[in-house]
Amino acid sequence: MKRAFASRTLSIAAIAAMGLSLAACGGSDSGGTGASEEASSGPIDIWYSNNEDEVAWGKQMVSSWNEQHPDQKISAQQIPAGKSSEEVIAASITAGTAPCLIFNTAPVAVPQFQRMGGLVALDSFEGGADYIKKRSGELASQYQSQDGSFYQIPWKSNPVVLFYNKAIFKEAGLDPENPPLGTQEEFLETARTLVESGAVDNAVWPSPASDFFQSWFDFYPFYAAASGGEQLLEDGEATFNSDEGKAVAEMWKKIYQEGLSSKEVYTGDSFVDGKAAIAISGPWAIAAYGDQVNWGTAPIPVTEEGAESHTFADAKNIALYSACENKGTAWEVLKYATSEEQDRNLLEMTGQMPMRADLTTVYADYFDENPAYKQFAEQANNAVGVPQAPNSVEIWQNFRNAWVGSVIHPNDSIDEAFEKAATEINKLASQQ
Amino acid sequence: MAQTLSNDDEATEAPATDRRRKSDVVQERHKLRPGSLILLAVGAFVFLFPFYYMFIGSLQANPDTSVAGAFPQPGNITLQNYTNINSSINLLKGLINSGIFTGGVILCTVVFGLLVGYALAQLSFRGRGVVFGMMLLVQMIPFQLLLIPLYVLIVRDYGLGDTYLGMIVPFAINSTAVFVFRQYFLQLPASLFEAARIDGASELRILWQIAVPLVRPAIVTAVLLTFIGPWNEFLWPFLVTKEQSMQPLAVSLANYISNIAATASNPYGAILAGACVLAAPAVILFIIFQRQFISTNLGSSAKG
Amino acid sequence: MSWMTLPRSKRVQPDGSDPAGSAAADSAGRHGGSSDGNAGGPAPRKPRWRPLGAQPVGVLFSAPYLLFVLAVLAYPLGYAVYISFHDFFFTAPGVSVPKPFVGFDNYIAVLTDPAVIRSFGNILIFLVINVPLTVALSLVLANALNRVTRLRTFFRVSYYVPYVTASVAVIGVWLFLFQQNGLINSLLGSLAPEPSWLVNSWLAMPTVALYVTWKQLGFFILLYLAALQNIPEELYESAAVDGANKWNQFWNITVPGVRPASVLVTLLATITGANLFTEPYLLTAGGGPDGASTSPVFLMYRTGILQGNPDIAAALGVILVIGVLLIALIQRRLVGGKEE
Repeated sequence: MKRAFASRTLSIAAIAAMGLSLAACGGSDSGGTGASEEASSGPIDIWYSNNEDEVAWGKQMVSSWNEQHPDQKISAQQIPAGKSSEEVIAASITAGTAPCLIFNTAPVAVPQFQRMGGLVALDSFEGGADYIKKRSGELASQYQSQDGSFYQIPWKSNPVVLFYNKAIFKEAGLDPENPPLGTQEEFLETARTLVESGAVDNAVWPSPASDFFQSWFDFYPFYAAASGGEQLLEDGEATFNSDEGKAVAEMWKKIYQEGLSSKEVYTGDSFVDGKAAIAISGPWAIAAYGDQVNWGTAPIPVTEEGAESHTFADAKNIALYSACENKGTAWEVLKYATSEEQDRNLLEMTGQMPMRADLTTVYADYFDENPAYKQFAEQANNAVGVPQAPNSVEIWQNFRNAWVGSVIHPNDSIDEAFEKAATEINKLASQQ
Repeated sequence: MAQTLSNDDEATEAPATDRRRKSDVVQERHKLRPGSLILLAVGAFVFLFPFYYMFIGSLQANPDTSVAGAFPQPGNITLQNYTNINSSINLLKGLINSGIFTGGVILCTVVFGLLVGYALAQLSFRGRGVVFGMMLLVQMIPFQLLLIPLYVLIVRDYGLGDTYLGMIVPFAINSTAVFVFRQYFLQLPASLFEAARIDGASELRILWQIAVPLVRPAIVTAVLLTFIGPWNEFLWPFLVTKEQSMQPLAVSLANYISNIAATASNPYGAILAGACVLAAPAVILFIIFQRQFISTNLGSSAKG
Repeated sequence: MSWMTLPRSKRVQPDGSDPAGSAAADSAGRHGGSSDGNAGGPAPRKPRWRPLGAQPVGVLFSAPYLLFVLAVLAYPLGYAVYISFHDFFFTAPGVSVPKPFVGFDNYIAVLTDPAVIRSFGNILIFLVINVPLTVALSLVLANALNRVTRLRTFFRVSYYVPYVTASVAVIGVWLFLFQQNGLINSLLGSLAPEPSWLVNSWLAMPTVALYVTWKQLGFFILLYLAALQNIPEELYESAAVDGANKWNQFWNITVPGVRPASVLVTLLATITGANLFTEPYLLTAGGGPDGASTSPVFLMYRTGILQGNPDIAAALGVILVIGVLLIALIQRRLVGGKEE
């Protein structure tokens, strides 16, 4: 009930701006989301991620645009560092200092930003929705907001897989070229073997902290694989309180109980430092791990042998912020930055997967030359995003609390914790 | 309460009789016992060891958490950690930001505190009681309650996110300092000021040329007391500054601990190096002024 | 109730760090009440009627302070209460959306949240450990310090050093010391707790309490030292003449003599406990494990700023403040009853 007025007003404003006639109650004096009435053009500012490779990509994109458009220059800077970029962006929306485009908008935060009136619906630009759907294909619908609009363009994903340390596997007597990591059962057995053999202290070491997003790197990929690609919520209802969800939880509970993973937060990279034999990471890690570890990759384990694996997408998207003055230019830049050519640059420079329907075909040559990345491209189409529901950060925090309190520190039974979390999350998701 | 907090042995203004009594006391009752000394030494070890460990850890090339790691090993010493953390959070810039933040707070505290403290102590004007009452009330309002609305106000309504002003403003008035100043001003004889007034000096001039020089110790107290607050303050600047180039060192170091450290090769070394840089100015300042600090800090309360 | 009866709880400082100055405030308050005679009202020095008092410039001198109080304290205070009764959230400038009055909804949401209850329970754990430990250790060390003359400055400085150092800096070392493979566990060997200190549901909050005790002890030692030196020596002498042993002397003279300092410890500990943020945020990685070391302020940050529900966070803040004031009042009755 709480947020009824808010998001309705916002969506009305967005739709009204599209020129649709609508019997609307409640004045939409919201200046924020009313998109591009004039779609004026001129100089704009953008933020991109502070990750080294992405900075390099951003720089070349900006300079090639600026060369072609001397009257609509982009000034770019790295996203100001903070605890998390979402916090920074939320603060800048509140303060009215958000840039035109942020090339690192986490989908989980989009519902909140939208509710704050900080985002422009991309459908409000001519052909906006078509452009997004054409580029990303089926994947696009995952990033559609509940009112049916796109407040973000699905940009790139980092489908997570298992990275494993070949040397440690060998030492533990496991086949480093063909490790038994296909099913959850095998995964658990392998973890036991790794630790019992004394080859490593921790089989795997995802962060046990209670930040809302940490579940994306332990529970969520395993759940996606086990459930055949379900999101945490489907149609506004929690899905995780199911046999598959609880089986994943039970498996991780055993991992923690048997000391196969640490309950402490590791300061540093446990995989690189050899403190853990397996890491759950996206393709960005290929460059980060580099030669420091002799690693291999495997898809996230499924429940039954031979089933198709799914994983968590870890997508980062681009959103257009309402504080932007020259929205017309911003929209053009957004299209330019997601063009086939720029997407290729992104792939080549960062190793992250542009969310294009034609990823494997249009860049086939790249994947032939870089087989390490091929698996990620294949996973990209099976990658699950975070649901676009209201209160999504709070939803994930609720889930994380249940996870920490029943799996990592078994103070509650998994059944009870999941049941309680599901009820609470359903309530949060239905608050329009 | 005021009396109990009063002099320690360094309170210079203690009456002579008092001092004589004290020296007798030291001889009669407070004989040095080995037990006490051992106790104190153990205490000092517990208090100082983490600082020693901080320093040693910041010099280690590889973190060594074993007992042997607590001793310096020639082969494992490097300044690399300082370079490492400096490359990700720019220590100098952080120190400068901390300095500006702290300096701004101290300046505001002293200027506003002197003005209102003097007015309360030596001027008679309508509303003095209201000001005084408000001062007591203000001290009751906890910062936590103001956190959210202040954030909305400063960042949103006043547009002061990522500015020094936004960091300083909530701390710019310090009622404790006002009390200290008022207390000192009250001790000055009113006749002193009456004479100046008859000579036609303005109140501002009286304050600046007569009153302020007489309460220097109070200013030192206020500066030292105020210094600890903003220099070590974390939560507020953490909320207000999101741009790294504006963050005080405490904030950027905390961000480093919770975020960036994961990608460093020797994160603990780097964290400890940052901690040393953050701790050093406060510790050094305190050691230099320790005499002032101890006597004025606790003694000031009773000198009225 | 008038403000004069409440000066004790005013020690809530923005930075929570200068209680000594607040002690000054006490005496000042008393001074204002007694020797000044009439602190309220324009004490007229001359019979001539002046609308703004004898020295109207005082109004001018007080103006900046008052303006700040209004802008940075009074207004936000009212705003906090307003937010807590409305469906409020952050919006971009120029976006105006209805923020309807919701009565006590936010308060109900806060009070029915188990995490909040837990965080208040954590403050209790904190108090139970921190207060006795602080009182006992600072009394013992201050007593010892009172007996030595050599090296006194050195000891005092070393005790005070943690107090003046930023929490963020020393937490780095504590993390290093108390982690699973840290020095403390290396020393303890097989006695090391499992799971380790900071991830053990039973030990996380006690470790935080221990940390805070360690960090602030130096201040209290000096406080007790001053209190001890103020106990008239004659009391001990006459007690000795009466044949009281050391223990009796300690119990009947020393302990009552430092009572005001002990009151201060309990009050400051309550306020510190309610204010904990840096410790759960950094030392136990966000109030872990499983909320065993969350604090109300940490929850305010998480709900208000991270999850974008400032209304609920503001309600939590109001409850927190009322709670702290209540505890302060109760403590005043229990411990400081005789004082004024």
